[in-house]
Amino acid sequence: MTLTNNERRVLDALAEGDGDTDAEALARTTGLGRGPVEGAVELLAEKGYVNVDETAETLYKLTDEGRGYADDGLPERRLHDYLVENDDVTTDELRDVEGFEIGIGHLRRKGWAEMGATVEPNEASRGDDEEALEALASGENVDGVPETLVDRGLVEREEERTVNVRITDEGRESAEGDDRGTVGALTHDLLASGDWKDADLAEYNVEADAETTHGGREHILRQMANRVKEVMTDMGFQEMEGPHVDAEFYINDHLFMPQDHPARTHWDKFLVEEPQRIDELPDEAVENIRNVHREGAEGGDGYHSEWDRDVARTLNLRGHTTSLSMRYLAEGVEPPARYFSVDKVYRNDTLDPTHLLEFFQIEGWVMARDLSVRDLMGTFVEFYSHFGIEDIEFKPHYNPYTEPSFEIFGEHPETGEQIEIGNSGMFRREVVEPHGIDEDVEVMAWGLALERLLMLIYGFEDIRDVHGTLCDLELLREVPVLWN
Amino acid sequence: MAVVEADPDELRRLVGRDLSRDELVDELFALGVEFEGEGDDGLEFEVVPDRPDRLSVEGLARSLRYQFGDDRGVRVPEIGRSDYKIRVESVPERPYIVGAVVRDIDLTGGVLDSLIQLQEKLHATLGRRRNKGAIGVHDLTMLKGEEFVYRGIDPDDESFVPLEIGDAGAREMTPREVMEDHPVGKEYARILEGAERVPGIYDDIGMFSFPPVINGKRTEVREDSRDLLVEMTGTDEWTVDKMLNILVYALSDRGATVEEVEVEYDDRRALKPDLSTESKTVTHDRIESMLGVEFGTDDVVDLLERSGMDAETETRDGATAYDVTVPPYRTDVMHPLDVVDDIGRAYGFNEMEPRYPDVSTVGGLTESTRLENAVRKQLVGLGFQDLLSFVLTNDDDCYTRMRRDAPDDGVRIPNPYSEEYDVVRSWLLPSIVSVLANNTHRGYPQNLAEVGFCAVQDDDENTGIREETHVAAAVSGTDAGYEGAKSRLTSLVDDFDATVGTPTTEHPSFIDGRAATVVIDGDDAGVIGELHPEILAEREILQPVAAFEFEIDALRS
Repeated sequence: MTLTNNERRVLDALAEGDGDTDAEALARTTGLGRGPVEGAVELLAEKGYVNVDETAETLYKLTDEGRGYADDGLPERRLHDYLVENDDVTTDELRDVEGFEIGIGHLRRKGWAEMGATVEPNEASRGDDEEALEALASGENVDGVPETLVDRGLVEREEERTVNVRITDEGRESAEGDDRGTVGALTHDLLASGDWKDADLAEYNVEADAETTHGGREHILRQMANRVKEVMTDMGFQEMEGPHVDAEFYINDHLFMPQDHPARTHWDKFLVEEPQRIDELPDEAVENIRNVHREGAEGGDGYHSEWDRDVARTLNLRGHTTSLSMRYLAEGVEPPARYFSVDKVYRNDTLDPTHLLEFFQIEGWVMARDLSVRDLMGTFVEFYSHFGIEDIEFKPHYNPYTEPSFEIFGEHPETGEQIEIGNSGMFRREVVEPHGIDEDVEVMAWGLALERLLMLIYGFEDIRDVHGTLCDLELLREVPVLWN
Repeated sequence: MAVVEADPDELRRLVGRDLSRDELVDELFALGVEFEGEGDDGLEFEVVPDRPDRLSVEGLARSLRYQFGDDRGVRVPEIGRSDYKIRVESVPERPYIVGAVVRDIDLTGGVLDSLIQLQEKLHATLGRRRNKGAIGVHDLTMLKGEEFVYRGIDPDDESFVPLEIGDAGAREMTPREVMEDHPVGKEYARILEGAERVPGIYDDIGMFSFPPVINGKRTEVREDSRDLLVEMTGTDEWTVDKMLNILVYALSDRGATVEEVEVEYDDRRALKPDLSTESKTVTHDRIESMLGVEFGTDDVVDLLERSGMDAETETRDGATAYDVTVPPYRTDVMHPLDVVDDIGRAYGFNEMEPRYPDVSTVGGLTESTRLENAVRKQLVGLGFQDLLSFVLTNDDDCYTRMRRDAPDDGVRIPNPYSEEYDVVRSWLLPSIVSVLANNTHRGYPQNLAEVGFCAVQDDDENTGIREETHVAAAVSGTDAGYEGAKSRLTSLVDDFDATVGTPTTEHPSFIDGRAATVVIDGDDAGVIGELHPEILAEREILQPVAAFEFEIDALRS
């Protein structure tokens, strides 16, 4: 009969010894752990090579606290002693005796004292608990330790399980007998010595389950980000990068967001404690932005509110990556151009299963002469089709920085519902004119949350499972990879 | 976003069409007004902030009548003459007031509620929570005299009886008492914070209104009020003009007649409401190129009229253009392209065929992304599970629990969503330790890595903050130790054709004698070591952890 390596080692150890021992001793002699030994013993027992006999013994052990009381007496005993030694003791006076807080309850429960204006001691004979405590302290094992000691945490009870193993005749036969030659693992020694030629390689149960190997893998949200980046670059988009902490100048003012816009209030954005403001802003750009806020773009009107350079210098954790688009436009981009980013944004808003304080925004824009809203629509239809989202609809919408603007709706790949999957529009002249962009050049842009796309594709219900430190490793290890 | 509640029967009556509930919802959706759900007194709709003229059942009905073509072009209500006048006397902090007299309004059957709703919604949106503009509506018959005075007053010197809210009010109070004791006063006192003088409006009897806080009880409007004085005060004249216009249009749609009020400043006089229209010029080419649709000129004029505008065709330099008249209740038409948006909406954006733009560009990733991806790929090859943790954390997780003091150059959030997220992380290992701590019930070994964002203050940067990408990795499990971490670190750095050294160092997060500086190509780039057992025990991670972290830029060579 074929034995595993562990079984073979245990059986050999038994045969070499007197054939009657326990699992603990076997673990020592074989060098295997107690667990593997017991596993092997169980298998050997099934084959009839060993007899197994389990016994359990209850052991009691003093805790540190219990040991202290064994030396100094239980707190209630100490209180009682004090009462016997002193007359007319009040509760307040007794309070000063060490162990009062613990002892007073037990004192009353055991009926060792009467509580009145003064505390008067009763007769208090030595109890079973005190006997047991003393015996345990002197190293004796005590039968029937009172439960109260365990409950009070003075004594710990341990079950010691002994697995006695005795080799059978069949076992001894096997250890000495014919199938000595079967070999479990093919080893370096067998190969180097040439002994493998004579070895009888044991049959394995090839249908048995094997433990799952968890190799390294990319985070599922990162896979999604990279999939999106792949689609974007395939569509001719060049990636952007830039600061997470940026001046409101780029986050809001460039987007023609009036400085008194409700979304620019203190509580919607993450401020920075130190430094609070960007060093400097380019003067010319500041003038261009100020003018467009106050006077509007050519042929239009501005806002009816003040524009303050210091507000524009205020640093925020960016609420959107459109700040990157603005920085690129400010640097000067010639049409035609396509740019994108998939990067973190921060919203001081809500934290719940579908909203995070920080998430990845997919941002993209196309700049070319004579672009129309139909080109914008065509771009999105193409983009979303790569993620299985069809039947795109465009709901007219309002953004301070785009006109026309659309919320993009698409059919949920699983449920078939129409759901919002992005926000888009043509940048207003007030946004592009400060960068000297010609009037016949349009810039269309859109944005959406990467997490939202991931949740749609995988049906995740709580985004915190996959983004952040609350992630479940099992989910990260087992979620199917994204390739399609 | 503002949510407006509309009684569907009222909406049908004002539109003049017997529409089903679904038809109402669909037609409004086509206008960009989304159905939110059933409210207590009707259907709730979300109105986007560019169209405050739709913040009432009257405004929604007006838009629908244009949508159906039942109304066309600009309609301006006729304004009658009146002898009413408001004199302005030194109100520097809230300098503007406008007003109108409204007659023969029937406020029964929910009209008063609708008026109150519009007033509240305008306060919340255009009025910027009454800061920029605030509305007062009064029963005209309760006012004595035809000349009112708007003046700045000492908040302790004057008194009036404010509107009753629950148990508050209905007694003589000074403006200061209102701001301190009256629930409405307490809510809006912030607008007047620090002001020595507060605004008051007077008739021949005395003060009857305390804008922008509360009206007096004397002139309270009831369902049986027939004639009204509407006044608006604010910090910006354009804003209060527009708010008044929107209110006047709504009342006029309800059959009221409107009369002017003269406002007399020290240096000028103005007749209000100012219902003058504005005009914008847009070329035919611009409309076609923006929408990608070919139109006849008649089509454009028709679409504009169905948007509530008027258009005259003209020829400029041989090209067709439109002189477009914009009605006085529109606040969103700032640029000729806003007119094009209205044409698109009237035409129907979903009628347009998407097309892929015939524009050729070359795509690509940034160098940073290429480097990060390469590092991640090597880490995964070395058996690490890639992680993606939050950038926002707190001192406790990021430093204290790592046995470190919070550094002075950290980036902190003064107004966090919660104390849990008030620090921008300056290193990644705490994130990895948190993941380990949250997953002690999962199988070991747990080899985890992150390539992620960190930031610290730095005067040399334009923003004053240096943003870095770090690489961090940890091995955890029975056999995990310094050697395992170092062998992986060495392998990773080798992959980038760089050399790594690990001179001994001391670091509070690591065991003494098992910590080293990560030196890449001669520069200090990070740290490696076995995590201190105190950190592990406190997080109940019962397996040893060895880890390293360094700045990714050290690999660029």
